Amino acid sequence: MRLFTQFILRPLAADKMRTATTILGVALGIAVVVAIQLTNASSIRGFETALETVAGKTAVEVVGTGGLDEDTLPSLNWLREYGVASPVIEGNAALVIGDLETLSRRDMEAVRVLGVDILRDMPFRDYQLLDVGQDRDTAVETAAPRGTAPPAPAPVPNVTTQQFLEILTDERSVVISEKLATRRGLVIGSQLRMMFGDRVNSYVIRGLLKNEGPARVLDGNFVLMDIAAAQLAFDRLGRIDRLDVLLTAGADVQGTLAAITARLPPELTAQPPSRRGQQVETMLAAFHANLTALSWIALIVGLFLVYNTVTISVVARRQEIGTLRALGLTRLKVLFLFLGEAAALAVAGIGVGLGLARLLADAAVAMTSATVSTIYIATAAAPPDLDWGHVWLATAMGLPLSLLAAAVPALEASQVQPTAAMRGNDTLDMRVRLRPAMLMAPLTVLALAFGLTQLGPVNGRPLYGYLSAFAIVIGTGLLVPAIMYGLARVSREALRRRLGVEGLLAHANLTSAIPRLSISVAALSVSLSMMVAIAIMIGSFRDTVVYWVGQTLQADLFVGPGIRPTVGQEPTLSPTVIEAVRRHPRVTAIDSFRNVDLVYEGKLTVLGAGTFSVVLDHGAVLFKSPANARDRVREAIGQDGVIISEAFSHKFGKREGDTLTLPTPKGLHGFQVAAVYYDYSNDRGVVIMDAGTFRRYYGDLAPSGLAAFLTPGSDPELVRMEILATLDEGHRAFIFSNWSLREEVLRVFDSTFAITYALELIAIVVAMLGVAGTLLALVLERRRELSLLRLTGANQDQVRKMVIIEAALIGAVSQGIGLVMGFALSMVLIYVINVQSFGWTIQFHMPTWFLIQASIAVVIATAVAGIYPARRAAQLVLSHEE
Amino acid sequence: MEVMPALVADHLRKTYVSGESTVTALADVSFTVAKGDFVALMGPSGCGKSTLLHVCGAMDRASSGRIVLNGQDLATLGDDGLTRVRREQVGFVFQFFNLLPTLTIADNIALPCLLSGMHGATADARARALAERVGIAHRLSHYPQQVSGGEMQRAAIARALVHEPDLLVADEPTGNLDSENGAKVMALLSELNREMRVTVLLATHAADVAAAATRILHMRDGKFEGDRQT
Repeated sequence: MRLFTQFILRPLAADKMRTATTILGVALGIAVVVAIQLTNASSIRGFETALETVAGKTAVEVVGTGGLDEDTLPSLNWLREYGVASPVIEGNAALVIGDLETLSRRDMEAVRVLGVDILRDMPFRDYQLLDVGQDRDTAVETAAPRGTAPPAPAPVPNVTTQQFLEILTDERSVVISEKLATRRGLVIGSQLRMMFGDRVNSYVIRGLLKNEGPARVLDGNFVLMDIAAAQLAFDRLGRIDRLDVLLTAGADVQGTLAAITARLPPELTAQPPSRRGQQVETMLAAFHANLTALSWIALIVGLFLVYNTVTISVVARRQEIGTLRALGLTRLKVLFLFLGEAAALAVAGIGVGLGLARLLADAAVAMTSATVSTIYIATAAAPPDLDWGHVWLATAMGLPLSLLAAAVPALEASQVQPTAAMRGNDTLDMRVRLRPAMLMAPLTVLALAFGLTQLGPVNGRPLYGYLSAFAIVIGTGLLVPAIMYGLARVSREALRRRLGVEGLLAHANLTSAIPRLSISVAALSVSLSMMVAIAIMIGSFRDTVVYWVGQTLQADLFVGPGIRPTVGQEPTLSPTVIEAVRRHPRVTAIDSFRNVDLVYEGKLTVLGAGTFSVVLDHGAVLFKSPANARDRVREAIGQDGVIISEAFSHKFGKREGDTLTLPTPKGLHGFQVAAVYYDYSNDRGVVIMDAGTFRRYYGDLAPSGLAAFLTPGSDPELVRMEILATLDEGHRAFIFSNWSLREEVLRVFDSTFAITYALELIAIVVAMLGVAGTLLALVLERRRELSLLRLTGANQDQVRKMVIIEAALIGAVSQGIGLVMGFALSMVLIYVINVQSFGWTIQFHMPTWFLIQASIAVVIATAVAGIYPARRAAQLVLSHEE
Repeated sequence: MEVMPALVADHLRKTYVSGESTVTALADVSFTVAKGDFVALMGPSGCGKSTLLHVCGAMDRASSGRIVLNGQDLATLGDDGLTRVRREQVGFVFQFFNLLPTLTIADNIALPCLLSGMHGATADARARALAERVGIAHRLSHYPQQVSGGEMQRAAIARALVHEPDLLVADEPTGNLDSENGAKVMALLSELNREMRVTVLLATHAADVAAAATRILHMRDGKFEGDRQT
């Protein structure tokens, strides 16, 4: 231990810059991995917390596609045998904050609205009504001192159902959470404007709920109303979203669930509320898996810094090691000394990394919550706190991998000969000859990578795709020495001619250090290749989406409600708005569409209704198969035919001609697949049926959007303004022109991928630190030669220039390898991982200009990373005796 | 007309601080070397001959005193100035050859010319010519590790002379060679001294090596003990 302190810890403490850089590198790697875990957990947790918060004591819920018809409720009276049932309407609305005239989505705040029959619902959820008057016992009766700020509210003890009923007297009465009231300066009697779909309704606040039970949802953004008022508000007259069941005390939940399931008609499902959480988790799994895979890159690059630092340690102290060996220290102890150094760095890195993880997670949540909310679910969750599980995860990853990273230099240290080290001339001959073995192993691994791409998914996960990507990384990494050797042979004269003697020296130095440099170049190449691969994938994806949007967004105007749809929340348009659009003289055709959540084979998908005739006439869908899809779809009108998205087809192995058995309010029914179409708006999979068919089986549901086609020569903007002008104060639709919707689609797309670029940036920064470290190691290793160079007449500028050229060359070679590796990885991402994860066909597109810019930036950045080692090299003491 | 001496050392002192003690490597050394002289510094290990070579070759600075090379006081020069002096006026030959292992023999020889900005082809031609003169033209594309000790030292001598310096500093140039190769190297140095009129300052502890010089300075404990022409 004393030797470890003196020989390892003291030098680490003395060389603060190098030690801090290494610890930071490991810390960033650990932080990124843990932060992504936290981020992933937060999006699930946000949904699950909301679910659990609102579910209260509900043990079983009865759900159906598109909800339940109220008329069916009497036929479910037998549920009383198992407990009490409470019908529920639950949805998101938007609290209107700004001026109605200039309303945009930014002026609205999402609130969760729960509509219940309070008589039945009191036992289900923990409603704690607050006192707002002076006399707490008569609080409910006197709780309407309009316009006055409430004194510190306190819970009303033993609030009765009757009292609750009295304050939810009509369809304009609501109870909100105290937290929301405080935040928005609202009091009992205040008006509250909320937007449901396209309708802006005014309500009067009749009571405040303590922040307990359901009032905690979405950080207090909770509004409670009577179920009839909610049906009116959400335009779900005659329907409920689900029937919550509170089982009799002591009942066996699983047994009762099975019993209820057995008695339910096939179109209805009984499930624990947590089931919806599991479905969301499954839905997000692919998104999360890709983020996790990306986060590992940063860690791997961070560990390469450990390799570097231990290498520098060994290189700088060969003579000391030789002395220790001469004095009797065994090889094994030398090995342990340097592994100990790696462990010390790893432990410090893990400690700092765990601290950083929380900060990164907050940033990552801010970046990904837009994606998760926009595409998947509405959440308002902060990342969970770090727990021992995360400490264990960080340690279990960081420590062994750090030891592995340090194994090569530690072994090298243990091989140092006492006599040779003492003489100071035992540095290895680093010149490399290209041997067949240098090509055989990497080419075999790369062939394996190709083979793995031919295998299908495992449980819906692109397991072999990930393995193939990993094999590409390993194979190319093993190929790096051969590539460098080849490049060294052909570049000598060019470098000497272009960059003079410094170019010649840089070439000579790098060539002689190929074994040492290969790991650095491979690590930098890996992180750069991921940048390249992701740039190609996202560029391709974006181009495909632009093309798809161009092909499918044919309508002139798109009319939608003010609130974005999310899982289980489909805001709708009211007849007033639909009529306002239909009546406009310039409107020639309307395609109305409506989506409902559909659980198919246990997975959450989407069932949509569209007007097939309008879609076919106006070419608003891009069909994948069959070749005569348009004819087949026209034939399907009125014939119980459906079209399915590519993602659905891929996920469930369905093709045209197959039959889907879907739950409908009228029981299970078979629908024949007429065609498969391209859809990049949803990776859950979509089934679309003609509006007439949908109406026949699912009832006349209000549409969630309209696409309007105008007469040729119309000015869409003018028509948009004219339609909006006909709407009264109580209706606010969002009408996008074709152009602005395309912009919106791409804006959402770009925000979705912001996190991937951020993760990549971290990996590249860590790799840059690695380049600086490697060069520093080389400078220390070559200090005798550098000294000699100075004796021979090289001035400090020439030495600096030489090292900076070396750094830039490392960057250029790494970026070159990264481009090739990235191209291969992008193929795997686009044609294997993406297809198996999301079921999307992406057309390959090379973002040439971006890659050129990135390559220049990398070379400049690595040259900058070389400045510190260059300064150290130029400052070396001049002595040939060194 | 008085001929300007190649090298003048005037009351040179050089001390090193080692821990709490001060070691005097050079104690008030003064001497003058005429242009074209071949001077050997002789003395036992630790007598200060290497330190004197370093100071004369602009590799190190004296603690006090003056060193004038071709009329230029080295004490007045900064790092860049000393570098320029080494690059243009001084050539070095060391006991362990000190060729750059990453460069070929040809590149090693051409290096001083390249560092001073000479065109690549001109530098190569000069390197080739000198390599032929010292007898290692057949090894030009080899790396230092691939040639013998004698060949390495010949290459080092070629490198030291390729930029046509005024002063050649040689520190135990035969110390790492067998007697046969040592004798050949010394013969080569003598020839080049005469042919190129380059001043040679050589440090050695071996009398047979010093015998090649035209003047021998004996050193002990940082001082001159004797000065004789041969």
